[in-house]
Amino acid sequence: MVRRERDLLEGLRGRDPAAIREVVDQHARRIYRAARGLGFPPSDAEDLAQEVFLTFLETLDRFEGRSSVGTWLFGILHHKAQERRRSHAREDSTSAVEEAFEKRFDVEGAWLQPPVEADRLVESRETGEVLRDCLEGLPAQQREVFQLRQVDELSAADVARIVGCTTSHVGVLLHRARLRLRACLDGKGIGRSR
Amino acid sequence: MMTCKEVSTLMSKGGLVDAPLRVRLAVRLHLSMCRHCRAFKRQLEALANTARTLSASLEAEPPKDFEATLSESLHRKRSS
Repeated sequence: MVRRERDLLEGLRGRDPAAIREVVDQHARRIYRAARGLGFPPSDAEDLAQEVFLTFLETLDRFEGRSSVGTWLFGILHHKAQERRRSHAREDSTSAVEEAFEKRFDVEGAWLQPPVEADRLVESRETGEVLRDCLEGLPAQQREVFQLRQVDELSAADVARIVGCTTSHVGVLLHRARLRLRACLDGKGIGRSR
Repeated sequence: MMTCKEVSTLMSKGGLVDAPLRVRLAVRLHLSMCRHCRAFKRQLEALANTARTLSASLEAEPPKDFEATLSESLHRKRSS
């Protein structure tokens, strides 16, 4: 742990308002955005952020500094989000989109149905709105991994620690999320060459 | 020589960063010769960029006084 973070933790343990403000200023907006990215509406995202920081302050004694404060906070968010959802019924172990992906290659692993060269996503308001709809359709764990890896740009190792699985499973979940999103966007006519 | 399926799956799983040097070099070599896999890579990047843009959009932002309100609330609860 770097000295700066150690001093900050000392301040937090001593209930120093300046230390609380500092950790909130550094991380609260990212936590809020991540909660929104996980599909929670604004009021729930604010509540979740508050719960995350309260839990963080209450469990400071257990924080040993083996991960960064940011990763620890994302871990708490993961648990709080799970508590709110209480449903993993939609998690799938095998995925139809994975099978569809496999069929795009021949037995030697060469493309049978290659990506369309002109195929690209245009960063527009319309595309963003369609992507939001597609994200809503992802199983919760895939959505969380996609959010943490692609939007919050955390490492696979950090995401594995946060969601409690192996780094290779993080890769599988990210792969499935991307395939599903791609299929969803294609289905809505986004990103196809015209 | 890695196949298109191996290269595209590895990229889609985000496993390139942690892959051994020989694998990263093999992927780079493959990409230099395969326009389909390059297109697939661009699709992955575009998807991530769009998701980041969406996340950073105004509706994903908390109220302006969010941090101040949260800090005060935490401080109150910790003091009580």
